[in-house]
Amino acid sequence: MQTTSSTRGFVDRDNTAETPGERASLVLGMHRFGEITHQVCRVSENPPPMAWYVAFAVSIGLVGLLGVAVTYLVFTGVGVWGLNNPVMWAFDITNFVFWVGIGHAGTLISAILFLFRQKWRTGINRFAEAMTIFAVICAGLFPGIHVGRVWFAYWLFPIPNQMEMWPQFRSPLLWDVFAVSTYFTVSLVFWYVGLIPDLATMRDRATGKVQQIAYGFFSLGWRGSMRHWHRYEVAYLLLAALATPLVLSVHSVVSFDFAVSQLPGWHTTIFPPYFVAGAIFSGFAMVVTLAVPARELFGLKDLITLRHLDNMNKIILVTGCMVGYAYSMEFFIAWYSGAMYEKFAFVNRAFGQYWWAYWIMVSCNVITPQLFWFKRIRTSIPIMFVLSLFVNVGMWFERFVIIVTSLANDFLPTSWHDFVPTWVDIATMFGAFGLFGTLFLLFCRYLPMIAIAEVKATMPEADPHHGHAHEGAHAGSHDHSHGHGMGAAGLRPAFRDPEAPTH
Amino acid sequence: MAHSTATADLSDSSVMGDSRLAAVSRAALGIGIAGLLATAWIGWNRADPAQFAKIYLVNFMFVLALCLGSLQFTLIQHLVRAGWSVVVRRVAESIAANLTWIWILFLPVAWLYFSNPHFGEHGPSGLGLVWPWADMEWMRSHDAAEAAIVDKKAAYLNPKFFMIRAVAYFVIWAGTAAWLLRTSRAQDASGSVALTQRMGKWAGPLIILYGVSITFAAFDWMMSLSPTWFSTMFGVYFFCCVSTAGFSFLAFVVLRMQQMGYLRNVVTPEHYQDLGKLIFAFGVVFWAYIAYSQYMLIWYANIPEETTFFLSRQVGGWTWLSAILLVGHFMIPFVLLISRWVKRWRLTLALGAVWMAAFAWLDLWYLIMPPVPTKLATYDSLSAFAEANAGASTGLLDPLPYTMLVGMMGLLVWSTAARLSRGPVLCRRDPRLPESLRFENI
Repeated sequence: MQTTSSTRGFVDRDNTAETPGERASLVLGMHRFGEITHQVCRVSENPPPMAWYVAFAVSIGLVGLLGVAVTYLVFTGVGVWGLNNPVMWAFDITNFVFWVGIGHAGTLISAILFLFRQKWRTGINRFAEAMTIFAVICAGLFPGIHVGRVWFAYWLFPIPNQMEMWPQFRSPLLWDVFAVSTYFTVSLVFWYVGLIPDLATMRDRATGKVQQIAYGFFSLGWRGSMRHWHRYEVAYLLLAALATPLVLSVHSVVSFDFAVSQLPGWHTTIFPPYFVAGAIFSGFAMVVTLAVPARELFGLKDLITLRHLDNMNKIILVTGCMVGYAYSMEFFIAWYSGAMYEKFAFVNRAFGQYWWAYWIMVSCNVITPQLFWFKRIRTSIPIMFVLSLFVNVGMWFERFVIIVTSLANDFLPTSWHDFVPTWVDIATMFGAFGLFGTLFLLFCRYLPMIAIAEVKATMPEADPHHGHAHEGAHAGSHDHSHGHGMGAAGLRPAFRDPEAPTH
Repeated sequence: MAHSTATADLSDSSVMGDSRLAAVSRAALGIGIAGLLATAWIGWNRADPAQFAKIYLVNFMFVLALCLGSLQFTLIQHLVRAGWSVVVRRVAESIAANLTWIWILFLPVAWLYFSNPHFGEHGPSGLGLVWPWADMEWMRSHDAAEAAIVDKKAAYLNPKFFMIRAVAYFVIWAGTAAWLLRTSRAQDASGSVALTQRMGKWAGPLIILYGVSITFAAFDWMMSLSPTWFSTMFGVYFFCCVSTAGFSFLAFVVLRMQQMGYLRNVVTPEHYQDLGKLIFAFGVVFWAYIAYSQYMLIWYANIPEETTFFLSRQVGGWTWLSAILLVGHFMIPFVLLISRWVKRWRLTLALGAVWMAAFAWLDLWYLIMPPVPTKLATYDSLSAFAEANAGASTGLLDPLPYTMLVGMMGLLVWSTAARLSRGPVLCRRDPRLPESLRFENI
């Protein structure tokens, strides 16, 4: 398809066809490295589209709402939330777990897919990592304000003090403090290290003095020398290896918050991997939710291609099935255990006073993602956008169902109490979305949304063999692919299809 | 690197199964029969059929895990459209194809079910020899309170449904493995790209069937040995057992075949490194993660009905075996296999694969053999249990498990080598073969 430079990136091109033996192109319609630089940098160099301003206004408004809700909470006390006895945790921890979970896709994309040599990750890793950082910021907000006296929030950390006050080291809540702060630190460093070469590119292209100084400062004097690249690659690999266990550990520790207790519905051994799968599931849904409008608005369709979206939807399907497996195992074992409390907890989830929340969870997390078995749906922009929203909603409700239903109907029927959120609960929840949106929109506006240098490395033109004639012994036609992308070094064993005719 | 410039050897002697593999097959059959005869001779002089039956179960689960590991490997490669692994896929398909006959090893269980023999004057009958819930009369006479709990599960834990489920598992595994091998061999003849697409398309639904079947097989055959104990993680734990045993066996078979002259310059250190990564990721790290999560959550909540499982593994010699598993299944291989050269050098990878397979076997021993508390879990009953079993032995010094292992492994290698000897040992017209041949870790 012929596209002029003004429409480039705004038109979808189909690169989702799966031809065994060939690897599809991940960068469409571009053959010079400079074109990628231009495509990505123009987003922050030109004024943003009107939709950006509208989204930013909405997000900032929600941040204002968050400020009001949190201020009211701090001056009044946590009683302004709908918490009661026995439901002492509800929206606060639901939001915390939800946002920590959202972050996981970024780490999975940047670390695990890197180790799995999934080159398509380069198109989406930068903004997924940014999403991780913003999501963890939103997550960290909730335990901070839930302590009530926020000026004592530093007590969460084991800081020596004259009162000999120490946190409870046997509590998973303290493990959370360590897990989440480690996660935030490593994610931030990983993201920043990846940004350095691209920041230098922005610096070199910048025309304004302010931009030159700002980008220049953060690019740490990057000159793109061979030695810089070498150090950079080593650091990146090491950080990927360090971040990989974090993908598993953070949400495992979050699951321990519940699973170490003796409460039916919380105490079940599959919680750690089940929470991790759920986190990746919700994280990828959020990446799709953000990627679809971003590529549309900023004209990045040749870099975040349909194939990228198709792959992400496949991961949503896989992790959705894993989550469905965990739901089924919980239900089956609750019955199989023969323990009346276990059985009650699960039957009550599905058919008790919060039945609607349970069925929203099942429909959004297990049933609707099954539509992604069909390629037509995986590659349909509107449908995937709607389904990704469903997953976001479903995963929020999953945490709500786990937390509230188990607490509201505990062992003693006389203490049963339903949870009803107050306006402060709801305002804080939406406010957190506003905070996330604000940070993300600022990121889109001022930083390269796509890892420019990494995407270039996936182009066939980056292969040292590009443009060379293939060895004469290549009789098999399927070897003649530019999209193989399997490596820069010189391994090219002579191969002959044993059955093919020889010339 | 030297291998980079070498040319893949796709000559017949390198990629066609022939008399060398047939000779291995015959030798394995001989060794296997010798092992089975030794087992029969030792077993004949044994008075304890329950111990014999459980040792049999350990070894059955082990050879099953070796085959399931290759089945899951093949399915995953198709599912993710992997390129690197094509050069080892035929070997995996051939190991997995043993699932077409592995049900024969389950026939003794069918014999227990159909002929319902009694063991001892006060012992259980039929399947109750291994799985106490199968003889509820016996359970009730033993401890009525415990039996009352198990009674609630009768809709699932009853001998008839147990046998029906077993048939279903074997049908799923045999059908999947046979279809994958047949389709792949058909591609050897036709070179049709459509066959690759067909296998990729069906890998998704098949892997769901596979996941559900191994979960419930693990519940049926291992978790229900302690009929009141339960863990939602148990299916995932068995997936780790399968991955450890299966990926290690696959790597070892490929190494051995290359030593015999097959797959010369076809399988390179690049592929070995990736096989090693799979062992490291799933056999070492993921196993440790799952085992730790299961242990820690049960230990921390300290609910008697759950802690019985670990109590019975922390009495007598079992305490030592628990500790040895922690060190040998996780700590030592973690330190060793994390290095790149260990996975790329044939000798060290072979040692690592044998080590991990041995620990996978020990892990099954740890899951299946310990004494089972059969009284309702209370402080008193568990204290009495711990006291009574304070000197419990793991039974690992007994020759019987090893002769039986040799016997079953002999059969497995016999069948695998015979299958490989009859055709190409490489998916030689797979459209992704060129990608696999030039694959490099970068």
